[in-house]
Amino acid sequence: MRVPLRWLEEMIDLPTGDVEELGYVFDMLGHKVEGVERFEIDWSDVYVGRVVDVAAHPDADRIRVCQVDTGSGAEQIICGAWNFENGAMVAVARPGAVLPGGFEIRQRTIRGVFSNGMICSEKELGLGDDHEGILVLDGSPEVGAPFSDLLELPDVVFDLEITPNRPDVMSILGIARDLAAHYDIGFRAPDPGLVAGGGATAVRVEVEDPAGCRRFTLREITGVNLGRSPLWMRHRLAKVGLRPISNVVDVTNYVMFELGHPLHAFDADSVVGDRLVVRRAGTGETLVTLDHVERNLEPDDLIIYDDAGPTSMSGTMGGARSEVSGSTNRVLMEAASWDPPTIMFMSRRHDLRSEASTRFERGVDPGLADLANQRASALVAALAGGEVLSGSVDVVTTPITPLEVDLSGEQVERVLGPGFDDDLVASLLSRLGMRVEGRRPMRVTVPTYRPDVSRAVDLIEEVARIHGYDRFDATVPRGPIGGLTSSQKRLRRLVATLAGAGLDQAINLPFVGLDDLNRLGLRPAEGDLLTVRNPLREEESRLRPSLLPGLLNTARYNLSHGADSVAFFETGSVFHTEPAEWDHRLPDQPERLAWVVQGDVGIRLLDSGTRVADASTSLALWDLVADSLGIETRLTAATTPGFHPARTARVVIERQGIGHVGELSPLAARAFELPGRVAIAEIDLALLLEPVPPKMGRNLSLFPHVDFDLSFRVDADLPAADLVEVTSRAVGDLLERSRVFDEFRDPSLGEGKKALAIRYRLRAPDRTLTADEIGVIRDEMISAAISVGGELRGA
Amino acid sequence: MDPLSTLNEVLAGAPSDIETAATLDDLDRVESSLLGRASDVGGIRRAMGSIDEGLRPRVGARLNEVTGAIQELLAIRRHHIETVEEAARFGEEAIDVTLGAVSFPRGSLHLIQQTIDEVVDIFVGLGYQMAAGPEAELAWYNFDALNTPPTHPARAESDTMYLDWGRAEDEVVLRTQTSPVQARWMETHQPPVYVVVPGRCYRTDTVDATHLPVFHQIEGLAVDTNIVFSDLKGTLLHFAHEFFSPSTTVRLRPHFFPFTEPSAELDVSCSACDGNDPGCRVCGGDGFLEMLGCGMVDPNVFEAVGYDPGQVTGFAFGMGVERLAMVRHGIDSIKHFVDNDRRFLEQF
Repeated sequence: MRVPLRWLEEMIDLPTGDVEELGYVFDMLGHKVEGVERFEIDWSDVYVGRVVDVAAHPDADRIRVCQVDTGSGAEQIICGAWNFENGAMVAVARPGAVLPGGFEIRQRTIRGVFSNGMICSEKELGLGDDHEGILVLDGSPEVGAPFSDLLELPDVVFDLEITPNRPDVMSILGIARDLAAHYDIGFRAPDPGLVAGGGATAVRVEVEDPAGCRRFTLREITGVNLGRSPLWMRHRLAKVGLRPISNVVDVTNYVMFELGHPLHAFDADSVVGDRLVVRRAGTGETLVTLDHVERNLEPDDLIIYDDAGPTSMSGTMGGARSEVSGSTNRVLMEAASWDPPTIMFMSRRHDLRSEASTRFERGVDPGLADLANQRASALVAALAGGEVLSGSVDVVTTPITPLEVDLSGEQVERVLGPGFDDDLVASLLSRLGMRVEGRRPMRVTVPTYRPDVSRAVDLIEEVARIHGYDRFDATVPRGPIGGLTSSQKRLRRLVATLAGAGLDQAINLPFVGLDDLNRLGLRPAEGDLLTVRNPLREEESRLRPSLLPGLLNTARYNLSHGADSVAFFETGSVFHTEPAEWDHRLPDQPERLAWVVQGDVGIRLLDSGTRVADASTSLALWDLVADSLGIETRLTAATTPGFHPARTARVVIERQGIGHVGELSPLAARAFELPGRVAIAEIDLALLLEPVPPKMGRNLSLFPHVDFDLSFRVDADLPAADLVEVTSRAVGDLLERSRVFDEFRDPSLGEGKKALAIRYRLRAPDRTLTADEIGVIRDEMISAAISVGGELRGA
Repeated sequence: MDPLSTLNEVLAGAPSDIETAATLDDLDRVESSLLGRASDVGGIRRAMGSIDEGLRPRVGARLNEVTGAIQELLAIRRHHIETVEEAARFGEEAIDVTLGAVSFPRGSLHLIQQTIDEVVDIFVGLGYQMAAGPEAELAWYNFDALNTPPTHPARAESDTMYLDWGRAEDEVVLRTQTSPVQARWMETHQPPVYVVVPGRCYRTDTVDATHLPVFHQIEGLAVDTNIVFSDLKGTLLHFAHEFFSPSTTVRLRPHFFPFTEPSAELDVSCSACDGNDPGCRVCGGDGFLEMLGCGMVDPNVFEAVGYDPGQVTGFAFGMGVERLAMVRHGIDSIKHFVDNDRRFLEQF
């Protein structure tokens, strides 16, 4: 909402004109200043003049020699415009004037005739684009007066953000009213100044949809001449951001900004029959609106009909058929109160947002309708001639009575803190034009222009606002039991562990493209993916069932932007179409962890990398994560879409598979244009984050350890973990650690065989182990190995 | 020559002998030539038994004195040679400390994550718990429970992403705010409630320098028997001091949200320019930055979740994580947060 200060000052005597100070007041009233525009034009040496003689130029056809009285005798001025005659009042720039754009006026001789100044067009004066001739002044300004006296300049326009609950301040009057409450001073509402003549309009109004239309007022003005509005009005409209159109239309806009009530003017002679009917649209009906677009009306549209059909979209846009035009003689002025949701949905349906619909969808004061109508009708009569008929229409479908709300100081203090007794509250609310009667409780009568105030708490907000948010103390309450849950802490530890291992955390948009799913080999069937019903863009229509497509694209993006290797992880929701276990009304949306690592990993040396990522990188990362979180998991060879079929492990925790770690399938790697091997993983977070019991510490033995190595020949497909497990179990409690240190595949071992070398460290808590003891244990380990097909090598 | 004279002679010559040793090996040789078995001193030590009894105590005492004195000189020399040798070796071992021959990989947490963690920790310090909830959420929790009726413009399809899922009466949306988690929390917890909720939110926005269809929010909620407006102000002031700077000032401006009354927006003073730079790239010369929305919880919200608005009051606030991070770190485009460009991520 643009608010010109000079227009505002017509309604209120502000204690300050300081722009910064006023800006702060607007902010603190809840009308945030989004911008301040200064209107300042230097019009020194521009005066009002009267043309007292117009003569042809002796030596040129297209220009004329004028004598212009500027208060100190007639000056001779050559002029090329033809839109004025003798007697016209004009703006004269005298020699020495510098017009906007740096155009300096000098005495000159044009084709042998002396010219002592210039008669100005609006464009030359910096008032607009109009240079179809010079500016002819309306009214009867005083000859010789400085031109700047005619206009409200210099001026400052505040651009205010009006919150949607405050339609009442979408007008100069509303702003003046709020400022008056703030400063605790008075304000002046404009007087409609209606002088009505005899007779009554013949047009009747029938409201068939009382829910959609609370009030409908209509006035007829006869003998109207459509033309331009006067300069002052055009100038004010320009400042609030509206383009002048014609005197009748400009008046409706002017009153909308002045009082806050939108209006519509019909050309009465284009209205067929003698009644206007308000009802919802019938099927298949169309209406050509003022913008000359044919609208297919829908059953919820609220339409004004005449006997020939739809003629206006309520509160949104008028119809072309009844538009005022140059031939208009009689005008029907409408000011009606429309149901806000009806207007909101209709204007959205038809993509027709206007100054009027914006106000109606927020709620225009129904108590204002007739006053606005009087004001607009009177202005039309004043500016366009004609007479307002005294017999007007005012249909009220629901009585307009101000709301009464009970409030006590105690209620206010519960929300705002101590210090708000009934008397203070009453005085603050009274400043807002509310009537406050009685005490404990107070009965507050809320003006009809405040649709946002209907409950005690709404009044409490007004008390706080007028008291001033900046006058409240700052106190800090504390909760009784703060802190993160165990799962939240474990998630933090998880991400810190991965970042510590050198992975960057990515956060991708949780949408997915079908192409990417296909590249990964997931090929979801129709209905497998959770979809958005109303996506703005195609790429935001499907929710990801996996974190991997996003991460793989992140990897590709970085590699194509100059990274020589990438390591990313992400945690976040994926989405399924099955119902969630914990609330069947919602789709399942588990949290997951995933990573993608390509290229060099680990400590980097001067001559570039040490190790290049592959499946073993994922396995190592998984060990790190599991160890950091203190969880026991098992890995088993597995296949799953997108993963390399022979280099992937399923992660099992308490016999439940929670995801996969390994390598990207070569097919998918090619599809995502990722070179070499790519370590990937995707794992459900829920079980990882479950609290685990505290780790029990082991007291350190003071006795020496015994290290020995065993190398076994086993079937090539025997998982190393199985061999380690059975042999370790054979050792029992004395085992301190065991680790495979070599895997050897060679034809010499025999068809389908491999060798695994394992180093064991044994230690007893209470004694030094003897060679005999070790010998017994070693034999048991070898027998255990035989149980999984292992055979001791070098024995 | 008599033993005493020999000892005196050896002692007199020892300093210059020792001085000639340049290496530890040299010194070992000098030591054995001065004190070894084959040396003069060694000879006297071995012959002590055959020395005249009257002379023996004097020779013995002198032998010990001379041996001790020479050993001291040797130790000093040894220390000197070791120092010099080591210094020479250090020279050979010198590295270019600016070379960076080895580098440990350093991963980074996403700036969004870091920002969330920091904000959450500030409130944890005030006794808040952290809560989370589903991103695909019932429209009831996202809107109705938060006093946003079906006719509210925010519910329009032009602002909210609706899912093709579930029954018509249990419409599911991608949550437009983290506030539904507050409603869920209040349904399952009795006051006092002090909770912060970080999370991802969705709106049908076109992408530009400050808008994304997916963004992050942190909501806060405090409900207790005696929460008043000053508590909201003080809590957010504390937050601003911790998150931005101890000299940050704040102001609450009246605003409108369906789920709070009174409602406010919080502006924080620009820590980049303190309002002193008319061309400041962070605040645009305004001196203040619009940071978050907040207010006292609307009684209708309490009723929707089964709290008695006659018994409790509370405040709530919600802030955009991207906005917080952009202001604090001088980031000019929100798109950096979704590009996941390593060059951006690894700065933080």
